[in-house]
Amino acid sequence: MAEQPKLAEEMKKMEYEPLLPVEKKLVAWSVGLGLALLIFLYWVSSTFFPSGH
Amino acid sequence: MDEVKRIDEDKLTEGQCNSPETCAVEKKKGISEDWLALWLGLFIFVLSLGVFGGADILGWGISTKEWTDSSKAMAPVSKTFQGVKGEIIKIDGQKITIKKADGKDETVSVKEDTASLQVGGRYDKKGISGFASLALTYLAMLMIMCVGAQFLNANIGKFAVGFTVIFWLSYLCWFAGHYAYIAATKDKLEAFKIPWSLSLTGESGFIIALLVGLIIGNFFPKLAEKLKEASRPELYIKTAIVIMGALLGLKAAQSFSLASNIMFRGLCAIIEAYLIYWAVVYYVARKYFKFSREWAAPLASGISICGVSAAIATGGAIRARPVVPIMVSSLVVVFAVVEMVILPFVAQSGLWSEPLVAGAWMGLAVKTDGGAVASGAMTDALIRAKNLEMTGVAYESGWITMTATTVKLFIDIFIGIWAFILAVLWCTRIECKPGQKAQPIEIWNRFPKFVIGYVLTFVILLIVCWPAARAVAPVDEEIKGLKKEITSVEKQVASIADPAALPALNEKIKAARDRIKGLNDQVTSQRATMASANTATAESNVFRVMFFVFTFFTIGIVSNFKKLWEEGIGKLAAVYILCLFGFIIWIGLFISWLFFHGVKPPVAG
Repeated sequence: MAEQPKLAEEMKKMEYEPLLPVEKKLVAWSVGLGLALLIFLYWVSSTFFPSGH
Repeated sequence: MDEVKRIDEDKLTEGQCNSPETCAVEKKKGISEDWLALWLGLFIFVLSLGVFGGADILGWGISTKEWTDSSKAMAPVSKTFQGVKGEIIKIDGQKITIKKADGKDETVSVKEDTASLQVGGRYDKKGISGFASLALTYLAMLMIMCVGAQFLNANIGKFAVGFTVIFWLSYLCWFAGHYAYIAATKDKLEAFKIPWSLSLTGESGFIIALLVGLIIGNFFPKLAEKLKEASRPELYIKTAIVIMGALLGLKAAQSFSLASNIMFRGLCAIIEAYLIYWAVVYYVARKYFKFSREWAAPLASGISICGVSAAIATGGAIRARPVVPIMVSSLVVVFAVVEMVILPFVAQSGLWSEPLVAGAWMGLAVKTDGGAVASGAMTDALIRAKNLEMTGVAYESGWITMTATTVKLFIDIFIGIWAFILAVLWCTRIECKPGQKAQPIEIWNRFPKFVIGYVLTFVILLIVCWPAARAVAPVDEEIKGLKKEITSVEKQVASIADPAALPALNEKIKAARDRIKGLNDQVTSQRATMASANTATAESNVFRVMFFVFTFFTIGIVSNFKKLWEEGIGKLAAVYILCLFGFIIWIGLFISWLFFHGVKPPVAG
C-alpha cells in the first residue's frame, strides 16, 4: 500500500497563490447577498410568520 | 470530478480511513449508508404503525426510567407488555383502576370479561420483565442491523460482534445516565427521596456514552479496531432521523403553525449560513493563512457548512486532490466532538430562556449530522430541565431537537446545489481544470437520501394526525374551561351559606359534566387516532433513542485525537479553531437568535 500522506507534509507542499480579484469579488458578492437577504428574510419571517418577533 | 467521487464518504466520516488509498470506494461495496438508513428507518416506522390496526408489534421495546432502585428502571414501552398487579378500586367497563404496592393508582384496559372481577379483589397481569424487554430489543436490533450490514457488504461476523459490544456498552451508559443522582430534575427529588441531583436528565447517558467511546477510541485502539465494522455513527444517526420524522410529524399536527414557523425560519438561517459563513472562512484561509484555493474551498465548506459531505462535495466541484477533503474531514469529525461536549452546556447556561434559538444554534454550529442532531437532543433535555428549575415551566420535549434537525437537514439538502454553484463558478471564473464540467446531476448525487425517509415519515404522520388533532384541540380547550368552571362551582358549594342556592349550583355542575361527556363522545374516534399515533411514535422512539446512544458512543470511538495530532494538524487546525470558535459559532448564534428569538415550544400537558 502506498505511504499515507501526512497532513503536515501536505501543508508544507502547499504553494502560495495570490488572492485573485475574482475571488475577492466572489467573497464580497456572497457576503453582500447574505446581508441583503438577512434583512429581507427577517422582514418576511416577522411579517408572515410573526410569532416570536 | 471522477477522482474525488471515488472517496467513500461513509468510511471517512467514521474515521475508518485517512488517505486517498484507504478512503477509496471498494468495488464490492453495496448500497450507501444513506440509502440503508432510509430503509431501516422506514422498516421500523412501518412496524410501529401496527397499533393503528390493533397490532402492538414493537411494544416489547425497552424503556428506561430514572432510578434509585435499578430493578425498577427498565420496562417494556407498551402497557400491553407490562405486568401490573394491585387491589382493584374501580371497574368501569373494560377499564379497571387498581392501587399498586407503591400506593399509586393505575387505570388499565383489560381484554378479559370484567364480570369475574370485583372491587377490593386482586388483579395480577403477567408481563415481560425489563431485562427480557432489553434482550428482545437487542436481538431485534442485531437482526435488523445484520441484514442491513449485508446490504453494505460489510463483514457480518465482525459486524455482529462489534454491534453486540456497542449495544451493551451503549445501553450501560444510557442506564447509568438515568441514575437519579445524575438525572433527576429538582421537581423529582422528593419522589426519589434524594437530597440533591446534578439535574442532567436521562439524556446525560448520551454524554457518558460519548466519553466512554472516546476513552475506547483513544486509549484502547485494539478494542476500537475490533468494533470498527459496527462503528458507524452516521448510519445510526441517519436511521434515527428517519424514525424521528414520525415523532415530529405528530408534533407538527398538534402545533402546525409552530412547525411551519420553525421550517421557514430554519430555511432563512441556512441561506445565511451558506452565504456568510463560507465566504468569510474562504477569505480568512486565503488572505491570512495563505492557503491555496485547493485547500481553502473544501476547508471553508467543511467548517462552515456540513463537515465531511460538504468538504468532499466541494473538493469534487473544484477538482481538488482527494487527500484535501480527506484531511479536512478528519479535522471536522474531531472538532464536532469538542462542540458536542461544550455547546449544549453553554446553551443551557446562556440560552435556557430561548429554547429554539439554542436548537437552531446546534444545527448551525455543530458540523456533522450526528454531532448536530445529537447535540440538539442533549440541549433539548438540558434546557427543559433548566426551565423547569428556574421558572417551573415544563416545555414539551422534542421541539429543540426538531429545530436542530430541521436546520441541519436544510443544510444537507443544499450541499449539492452549493457544490454545483461552486463548480460553475470555478470553471467559468476562477480556474477550469482539464475535463472539469459542472453537471446538474451532481445535485441529485449529493442529495442526502435519508432525508427522503425523514420527509416520508413526517408527512405520513402529519396527514394521519392533522384532522384528528384539529378536531380534538378545540374540544380539549372547551373541556379545560368547563373543568375550571366545575372546580369553581364546587368551591362555592363547599362554602355556601344559603342551602336554597344548592340545587342550582349542583345543576350547573351536572350540566358542565354532561357537556364534557358530550364533547368527549364527539371526538372518540379522533382521540383513538391520536392515542394510536402517540403509542406508535413512543414505540418507534425506543429505537430512535437507541440509535442516538450508539451515535454518541461510536462518534467517541472513531474520534482519534492522538492520530490527528501525530499527523501534524498545525496550521489547518489553527484556521479551523480560529474560524469555528472565532466567528462561525457566534455568527450562528446571532442568526439563530435573529430568526428564532421569542419562539417558544408548547408547554407540556
